[in-house]
Amino acid sequence: MSNKHKVMIIDDEKIVGDMAKLSLEQEGYEVEAFLNGETALARLQGSPFDVVVTDFKMKGIDGLEVLRTVKKLYPKTVVIMITAFANLDVAIEALRDDVHDFFPKPVKIKELKASIQRALEKRKDENVNA
Amino acid sequence: MPNRFQAWWQALLPRLSGRGNPEGPSDLKTMLSHFQAVLDCNNQALEVMTDMGEKLGGDYLFDVNYTQRAYDALSGHIGGSLRHFALLTGGRYPQLGEVQARLDVLVRRMLTSAGPPADRLVLFYDEITWDLAEEVGGKNYHLAELRNSLKLPTPAAFALTTAAFDLFVRHNNRLAARLQDLGSTAADIDPLLPELQELVRQGSFPEPLAVALEDAVGRMRSLQGQECRLAVRSSAEEEDGDFSFAGQFGTVLNVPCTLEAVQQAYKEVVASLFGSGSIAYQRHLGYDPGKLRMAVGCVAMIEARVSGVTFTASDGNREIMLVSAAWGLGKAVVDGFTDADLYRVRKGEAPEIIDTRVGRKEQMVVNLPGGGIETVDTPAGLRGKACLTEGEVLELARQAMLIEEHFRTPQDIEWAIDAKGRFFLLQSRSLRLEGEPAAGEGEAAGQAAPPVETGQPVLLRNQGLVVQKGTAAGPVFILRHADELDQVPQGAVLVARNDSPHFVRVIPFLAAIITDVGVPTSHMASICRELGLPTVVNAGNATALLPPGQEVTLRAGEEGEVAVHQGILPGLLRQYRQAGIKMRELYELRRQKYIMRYIAPLHLVNPLEEEFAADKCRTIHDLIRFMHEKSVQELVAKASGAGRGLTSLLRKSPLRRLQLPIPVQLLLIDIGGGVSGKGETVEVDQVLSPPLRGVLRGMTAPGVWHGGGMALRGKDLLAGITRAAELAEAGGEAGSNLAIISGEYLHLSLRFGYHFNVLDSYCSGTPRNNHIYFRFVGGAAAITSRSRRIQLMADVLAESGFILKTKGDLLIARLSNLSCPRAEEILEQVGRLIAFTRQLDAVLDSDEMVARVARDFLAGRYTIPS
Repeated sequence: MSNKHKVMIIDDEKIVGDMAKLSLEQEGYEVEAFLNGETALARLQGSPFDVVVTDFKMKGIDGLEVLRTVKKLYPKTVVIMITAFANLDVAIEALRDDVHDFFPKPVKIKELKASIQRALEKRKDENVNA
Repeated sequence: MPNRFQAWWQALLPRLSGRGNPEGPSDLKTMLSHFQAVLDCNNQALEVMTDMGEKLGGDYLFDVNYTQRAYDALSGHIGGSLRHFALLTGGRYPQLGEVQARLDVLVRRMLTSAGPPADRLVLFYDEITWDLAEEVGGKNYHLAELRNSLKLPTPAAFALTTAAFDLFVRHNNRLAARLQDLGSTAADIDPLLPELQELVRQGSFPEPLAVALEDAVGRMRSLQGQECRLAVRSSAEEEDGDFSFAGQFGTVLNVPCTLEAVQQAYKEVVASLFGSGSIAYQRHLGYDPGKLRMAVGCVAMIEARVSGVTFTASDGNREIMLVSAAWGLGKAVVDGFTDADLYRVRKGEAPEIIDTRVGRKEQMVVNLPGGGIETVDTPAGLRGKACLTEGEVLELARQAMLIEEHFRTPQDIEWAIDAKGRFFLLQSRSLRLEGEPAAGEGEAAGQAAPPVETGQPVLLRNQGLVVQKGTAAGPVFILRHADELDQVPQGAVLVARNDSPHFVRVIPFLAAIITDVGVPTSHMASICRELGLPTVVNAGNATALLPPGQEVTLRAGEEGEVAVHQGILPGLLRQYRQAGIKMRELYELRRQKYIMRYIAPLHLVNPLEEEFAADKCRTIHDLIRFMHEKSVQELVAKASGAGRGLTSLLRKSPLRRLQLPIPVQLLLIDIGGGVSGKGETVEVDQVLSPPLRGVLRGMTAPGVWHGGGMALRGKDLLAGITRAAELAEAGGEAGSNLAIISGEYLHLSLRFGYHFNVLDSYCSGTPRNNHIYFRFVGGAAAITSRSRRIQLMADVLAESGFILKTKGDLLIARLSNLSCPRAEEILEQVGRLIAFTRQLDAVLDSDEMVARVARDFLAGRYTIPS
């Protein structure tokens, strides 16, 4: 089994998944990209990811539903939300639901990377302390 | 005093009335407000362009929604500019609106991923306009561009468009269905490819396509003769653009010009899309199999006596071109199987052949009479004999330089010369220079990075604004004058005082740009972003800190950190390259970035050239630049017109007289905020208009104003008498020295004896909006002396960064994109120059003296030579 961290990207626009996958792979992550919530959640059954980066507004299963499902299945998985429609209510709701970070699009890839890294370090510390 | 002034003015009025146009000050004020509005809208547009360049540059995750919103904003700002520009210019440039409308269609089509309209199946090259790149594919587009824009000789040709391709695919149901499957299957598709190729070859032509093709073939025969033959070649969407696809697709040569034969060849070329090697390459570039669309070119075959290839740069040297040539068709050279002749040519106004190496050329490729081609042994008499004359080599060189200049990147050009000695260009595409990694040749991710150098001395740190991030290395070249651009060596780090759109022509050859002054929204900045050239502007004193010739490595980081290290640091460079290349290859990103093609490139560079015309605008950037320049010109013209129509001006604005410590009568018209206080006379310290303040400081500077005039010598005196009438005809302001001013603006007409100076300047808080325009004409002296004075002025002005045009005794100088304090500083120098050179021409005996006086002047010594 690979000791790389696994990252899942969910966005209904291919360009977002392609770019995120490419840049995160360069950092040594193992990345899978999905174009909708349905296939992404199906992939998650029985196969935990360390980080899930999801678009908020998608047809069918949206970002909030992804967040809730992920947290129910794997409470330790880090969830990061990105959205083109920056809206405070959404942010508050998402944060209450334990989203690690929240980015309006366009999001600087470097910031996304830093956020993922911080989350993983924090999780490691928690595990050590637990 | 006031009485004398009134009397003088009364005497002047009748001479002025009835001349010029009826612009009043309120009109001029309105014009100034339109001018400001054009500039404001342009700036907002440039800011959006900057943001788009940044967000689409590969460092951000963005979606189509962003591109859409940004473009909407851009389009709104441009609409505003166009409206105010039309009002400013009285609607004299209706072409701009048309260009904008065409651009809008193109961009919106890309945003919605809608293909081009399906009504144009066949286009003759003469009909291929700049906005049809997507329809005709890269190869057709470039060749048509040589024909239509550069008027260079190309064979008669037509294109079968991507719409024709779509129609062909749709018409052949099984082919369409298989292509659909191809897109959705995750399995290995290689086994499916032979069937696809077969379906293409068996495919039939839909009625409209067959009809259009038959027409085209008929027209070709009537143009070229019944027996003419065609080369049928691929021209895929991105072919010869960022990616060459070199050798990936089929070409069928020497095809009889009949419907059946061309249909056959078309299918053969289209089938090559599905070769397994080609599919692998397409995948590598991010195309899902079956997604790439192909246009095809049908180009009249040339009965080539000699053919070959010209590289406009050779061995990484952009000064040297390489021409390779062989007998017969170009295939022998392109495929490299014959020992071709090689000519190396040094570029320049008069290109020269540096050396010639005559190859053995044992084999050659010829057309077969019944169609097709054949490789044959070269007749003994031709082997080892040079196949080009010196004149032919130089003509090829001249054409190649034109093409390179047009596309602004080194080119790889195919050409042929027929038995009658006629030249034909067959293809032109970007030449990748040595050291520049080709797409797909990036280092594999995960490969151990070389150690990144630390501890190297840093020559400049954290000064300036990062326009385009990146890491690059090369020798420092300090640019002092615009005319030194020709000397910038390949791969240099260009360090200049100001940024300038004139750098465009060398940008493709540079490693990086650093400027002392400048803004990230300038024309130059957006070109650098477009081409991904690491660029830092506003670095303060880079021209002083960086030693000329010193090899340096510039690191311009994402977070705006800037460091110029001494020496070339390979580790640092490699670390940077690794990340960038992969991202560039992402299909989805390229697709979005293509929108920028219609937005960012700048074709109109030099406003003093003929090419600077409304109908030459091809991008939003061109529109912005054109409107900016023409707005300045319009303002100059309007203000001069208003100056001439003084009587109507006076109805609304009082004419005031400036008290100067030098013997110059200067009248002022303030159209708002130009002076403080009221009254007929104005003291120098009441002047608020920054440009006028600058000029006056210069004109009244100690030592520059020499009393009296220099005595004219014999022949100069004669010349002076005859010139006086001429000059008055040419629009002299009958002795009126007039300044029209506002809080940010100056339009100054000054006449000293036979010298006419017009100075127009706008100095606001936004550097991009600011300009200085200076025109000088006249002089009572023999033409050689007058030209010497122009030379002197040009030397001095060039030192301040002006772009100059001189013709006889006319000088036009312009400078834009500079901060208000800097503009004031330069205007002060212009003021000194105006005062100093009043009657200098009579004493400038030699060119050496011009150089000496210019040196002295720049050093602050204002002695008139005796």
